[in-house]
Amino acid sequence: MATIDLGHAATHQRPDDPSLPPYKRYRAAAHYRDRDHEFDAVKMGVWLFLATEILLFSGFFVGYAVMRMLHPEAFRAGSHHLDWQWGLTNTVVLLVSSYTVACAVRNAQLGQQKLLKTNILITMACGFVFLAIKFIFEYSKKYREGLLPGWFYSYPAAGDPYEPMWWGIYWGATGIHALHVTVGIGLFMWLFSGALRQKYGPEHYTAVEGVGLYWHIVDIVWIFLFPMLYLIH
Amino acid sequence: MAHSKPHDPNAPGHPSVAAPQNGTELDVYPAGAADSHHHHGHTIVPPSTLLAVLMALLALTVLTWGASQVETFVATMFNVVLPDWVNVFVALSIAVIKTTLVVMFFMQLRYDNPLNTMVFLFTMVTVLFFLGFTMIDLGTRGTVDRFKAAYVVDGGTGGIVLPSGSAVGANTPITVHARREAENPESPKHQYLHHAEEHAAPVAAVPPARDISQGFPVGPYAPEQSSPQKSRPVRGLTLPGLAPAAAGGDHGHNHH
Repeated sequence: MATIDLGHAATHQRPDDPSLPPYKRYRAAAHYRDRDHEFDAVKMGVWLFLATEILLFSGFFVGYAVMRMLHPEAFRAGSHHLDWQWGLTNTVVLLVSSYTVACAVRNAQLGQQKLLKTNILITMACGFVFLAIKFIFEYSKKYREGLLPGWFYSYPAAGDPYEPMWWGIYWGATGIHALHVTVGIGLFMWLFSGALRQKYGPEHYTAVEGVGLYWHIVDIVWIFLFPMLYLIH
Repeated sequence: MAHSKPHDPNAPGHPSVAAPQNGTELDVYPAGAADSHHHHGHTIVPPSTLLAVLMALLALTVLTWGASQVETFVATMFNVVLPDWVNVFVALSIAVIKTTLVVMFFMQLRYDNPLNTMVFLFTMVTVLFFLGFTMIDLGTRGTVDRFKAAYVVDGGTGGIVLPSGSAVGANTPITVHARREAENPESPKHQYLHHAEEHAAPVAAVPPARDISQGFPVGPYAPEQSSPQKSRPVRGLTLPGLAPAAAGGDHGHNHH
């Protein structure tokens, strides 16, 4: 399999020539041996951050498990208010965006500047589509009907006395997830502005890799949320 | 060494950049630096692999949905009541396979430094502990309670004849007793549970409708009885014969 090297051996030979694109002139921070060292350290830092993200969402998953064991009927009743069509559509949207961001990393590794920008834009667009579906077709409808978490629940015909608890899990888990999608869109805007200035290429693509990893975790969380919330019967 | 910025690792002649020509320079070499020169580079995942993974993920998504449709079909067509865990097990198995694909290929753990895989796997083990111990607790409460019921008098009301007239045997779990009380029309608890709105205290005494600092309000429905797994989400409920709490003030005396 093809590999690339961030070029620690050749680093000192690269002059600080303004005519070279920024990614070719990138220098590792002073406390790293070379760019490879910096890349590995940053990547591991991102993985440690992702570990905390997984633990954040696992709180919701444990809460879900407890509530569902105690009140399965409430979960069934609550889940029937969700449209699995929108859940499935959003799953496909996020999977495609995960693919395009994996492609973006590849483009950066190969120095394909135009494709890199295109893939970042597609991924960002997928994030917007996800949020649009969530807010226009799901959240606003639930909000109008009063299908709100715990205390704010005001739907006139609860399927189970404990249904407000289900809505707490639903709004909490999907809300924190939507927040992560929003943050991801912001990160892709930042990446795009960097890509416009040719900051990412074979010699330096740490940011593309890190944001990509974050986006994959957001995707993975939705991979679990979709069947757990939408496919109960 | 003739270089102006001794701490710039990118500068020519920096000890970390200039490969040691002989053993004498090793003392200025940062620990572990020699290993990094055996680095195998960063894998560029081929587009065919990425596309194949995407296709597999989409297929598995459709499979998740299909499985739930099949479960519904089987349940309605053959009038079978499928236990909840079937639904959960199928959905979670597919989700785990999808996650493995994303983590191995999109996130490149398959080609990456194994240390990152360790970070990920340790996180997963932590999540399993988190989930597992919670399930052990919830899943065995009934067993523990039955075991205790043989010789423990729950709530210390054993053998007492309560004001409502119901006798509580020494071996009667308090949940059974509570159910009996709720079913007994003479019991204040029954009155409280089933005729709460008729016996509402004067308006001024009732806290504002949505003041959650006092707990959740009593709904119009009769809440379920407590069981080892469930506690009743009712405010101000007390044992029959004792003074009722916040909601009613002197509620117990109002219904005759």
